[in-house]
Amino acid sequence: MVTGYNIMLSGVGGQGLMLLSTIVGNACNKLGMKVITGEQHGLSQRSGSIYVHLRIGERVHSPLIPYGSADIIISMEATEVLRYIEFLKDDGIIIMNKRIMHPSLVTGDIAKHRDKNRTYITLEQILTQLEQVTRNIIVLDATKLAELAGNPRTENTVLSGAASALQEFPIDKDILKETIKDLVPSKTIEENLRAFDMGYEEAKKIIASL
Amino acid sequence: MTFNDLIDPNPKKAFLLANEAIARAAIEKDVKVAAFYPGSPTSEILDTIYILASYLDDLKMEVASNEIVALETVAGASMAGVRGFTAMKSVGLNVAADSFFSLGYTGVNAGLVLLIADDPHAHSSQSEQDGRFFGEAAHVPMLEPSSAQEAYDMVKWAFDLSEKYKMLVMIRTTTRVNHQSGIVQLDELKRTPFKRNDWKEVQGKYYTLSATARRLKGEALKKLKKVEEEEFETNPFNKLTLGEGDLGIITSGVSYLHVLEAVDVLNINPHILKLGTTHPLPRKMIANFLKKVNKVIIIEELMPYLELRVTAIAKDANPSVEIFGKYTKNFDYVGEYTVQSVVKGISSVLGLATPVNYDFYLERAEKLKSILPKRMPTFCPGCPHRSTLWAVQQAINEIDYVVNNDIGCYSMLLLEPYEITDSLLCMGASLGVSSGMQHVLNDKIISFVGDSTFFHASLPGLVNAVHNKHNIIVFILDNAVTAMTGQQPNPGSDFGALPVVEIDIEAIVRAIGVEHVTMINAFDPKNNIDKIKEALEFEGVSVVISKGPCALYNDRLKRKRGVPIIPNMVDKEECKTIYACIRDFYCPAIEMDMESRQAVILKDLCDGCMVCAKLCPVSSIKTTSGVQ
Repeated sequence: MVTGYNIMLSGVGGQGLMLLSTIVGNACNKLGMKVITGEQHGLSQRSGSIYVHLRIGERVHSPLIPYGSADIIISMEATEVLRYIEFLKDDGIIIMNKRIMHPSLVTGDIAKHRDKNRTYITLEQILTQLEQVTRNIIVLDATKLAELAGNPRTENTVLSGAASALQEFPIDKDILKETIKDLVPSKTIEENLRAFDMGYEEAKKIIASL
Repeated sequence: MTFNDLIDPNPKKAFLLANEAIARAAIEKDVKVAAFYPGSPTSEILDTIYILASYLDDLKMEVASNEIVALETVAGASMAGVRGFTAMKSVGLNVAADSFFSLGYTGVNAGLVLLIADDPHAHSSQSEQDGRFFGEAAHVPMLEPSSAQEAYDMVKWAFDLSEKYKMLVMIRTTTRVNHQSGIVQLDELKRTPFKRNDWKEVQGKYYTLSATARRLKGEALKKLKKVEEEEFETNPFNKLTLGEGDLGIITSGVSYLHVLEAVDVLNINPHILKLGTTHPLPRKMIANFLKKVNKVIIIEELMPYLELRVTAIAKDANPSVEIFGKYTKNFDYVGEYTVQSVVKGISSVLGLATPVNYDFYLERAEKLKSILPKRMPTFCPGCPHRSTLWAVQQAINEIDYVVNNDIGCYSMLLLEPYEITDSLLCMGASLGVSSGMQHVLNDKIISFVGDSTFFHASLPGLVNAVHNKHNIIVFILDNAVTAMTGQQPNPGSDFGALPVVEIDIEAIVRAIGVEHVTMINAFDPKNNIDKIKEALEFEGVSVVISKGPCALYNDRLKRKRGVPIIPNMVDKEECKTIYACIRDFYCPAIEMDMESRQAVILKDLCDGCMVCAKLCPVSSIKTTSGVQ
């Protein structure tokens, strides 16, 4: 029995983070596991930072993960992993999309100070910070894999496939796939299952090399 | 959730957002009239019932023009003999308060339930208003759930309670309850046919004045005493968990869930009294609890509502009990609680070291995050406001002005990078504040309101400004829906759960007697500059109505109709890095290529509104014409 497994999901408003949470939540319901979430709705649909605290197990009660207690952060965007890093336990796992969505505020600033050669934050800079908390970082190009799977909107499914490649992930891969079939529009089932498998295979490879 | 779970007539366990479970509960209780004005964190209740209504021909569901109209609509239905339900955000009850207080006197007929959702942390509200004081002030019984399951159970029971005592019943939630998902055990969904009544079959008296008011107040207080003694003292929503020793914790709502984990982290086993009925309080139950303990910690967000009342009960029940909470500075008045804040608060009372060093995680994270750019919520790609506001910025950059802003997506004008807001109080306030300022200031006085806010609370302000010959300019940003809360319809929309009539904002404005009305197309930014300048020059009440549909709403319409969303692209040969598409525009779909320093359009984000193309002086932005 799972006593407590904490998943922090993060991303940028509009990326489809809620589906990821819905997939895991419904899979837990299938398995008769206790699950609770604390979600962010409202303002942040609009290109803001967005998160879901997703908690599984008999001993979780609060909808919010305490600091230093997330077993895993799954993020659809690279800067949004770092934004919630206080929640990750030491040597916790990070599964992240390598994509960075640059806030328009920063783009505006670069345009305004054109002479000063300002630049965007890079993936390397983010990883340097994350490595001070954990070495277990799985970086995927979920955006590219989703496109290869036939639907760029399946980035979230790619990441759920990647999570299922972890030995300690509390929900079996086949249950997750079954749940995806229940939840996504019927004409996108094929693409989603492909995206899931591609995420799974890619993560397997990366885990083997860690 | 899957929608199938919500409409499934059979009992089942489903993974639901609390707001979805609340909607299902109301529908299971055969609510016949439901009316809402959207507001975070309650909007998904409206959205869920809206969808369910399309499957249920025995349910009348409306999106009302504001919260007081919503409450009066469902109260009228209750007086007429069918069950009514409304939900609103914390500050929504300020709008509905006038009728709410009178309903506390008159009582109701068929079950009537009002849910209000406070927003500790002010995630999406202008204040951390504590709505619990409303229950006591209006003589209305109040229930407070902790979890999605309990929210579902309480809504169902609230209808029975309301009908038994002929009282309005209030359910008070907080953001972390509404936006919590969990596994919820649903009962059977069984509806009865809608039946119209004759007034003589159901009639009652629902007025309150002078002698009647004094009589009704007395009766309401008597009923409340009965509710306290016969219902709440033995109610399973008030849960006593016996522990060991002489320490007790009294808590309610989502704080209870934090407490359950905090005692686990601290490895302590206190007696815990979780209160689910918070007005009237189960005084005997609390008194008995206080007799068992020497120390009691009160854990509740926002104001010391329970703490004050428990302290009063302790005066007779156990005067020597030590009470800890906000008055003793162990817990905060501001912000929402978490497991870590509750652990810290309890530790500070007991003189224990916090077993997990939460501060370490936070401090380390803050250092690591110093390289992160801010990510503020902003206008979506394709948003008509972005384009209107671009033109407004060009038109006002050489004049002195004050901006009185209002509630809606355009409230984001107060955030970086715009920071164009001097006041923002509440729905509709921009008009009244502008009226006051124009008496005093030399500057141009500007108000912004949206279409939904216009109908909700701006009409009296506009009437007042015209009548009193004020000198202000009002921008009405008409995007066809109530966008910020999830694109629900408003009186200016052409759709609703039931058939609707679309109300014409321009006709209203002209009928009120506004002499200077300017209509602009939101997506025509360059031509709008001069039109806005001219409107600014008018002395008197000048109204600019900017029309253009909300991008999220419009995208949904396009998908439904099979109309493709065609993104734009930057022609690398043509782009001269002028950045007209970036400056004062700030579209999230436009980034910069760090090598060429040219603008790049992200095709998965671009909405194809073509506004950036119109801003480019060298015409380097073109449609991809569907080639992706």
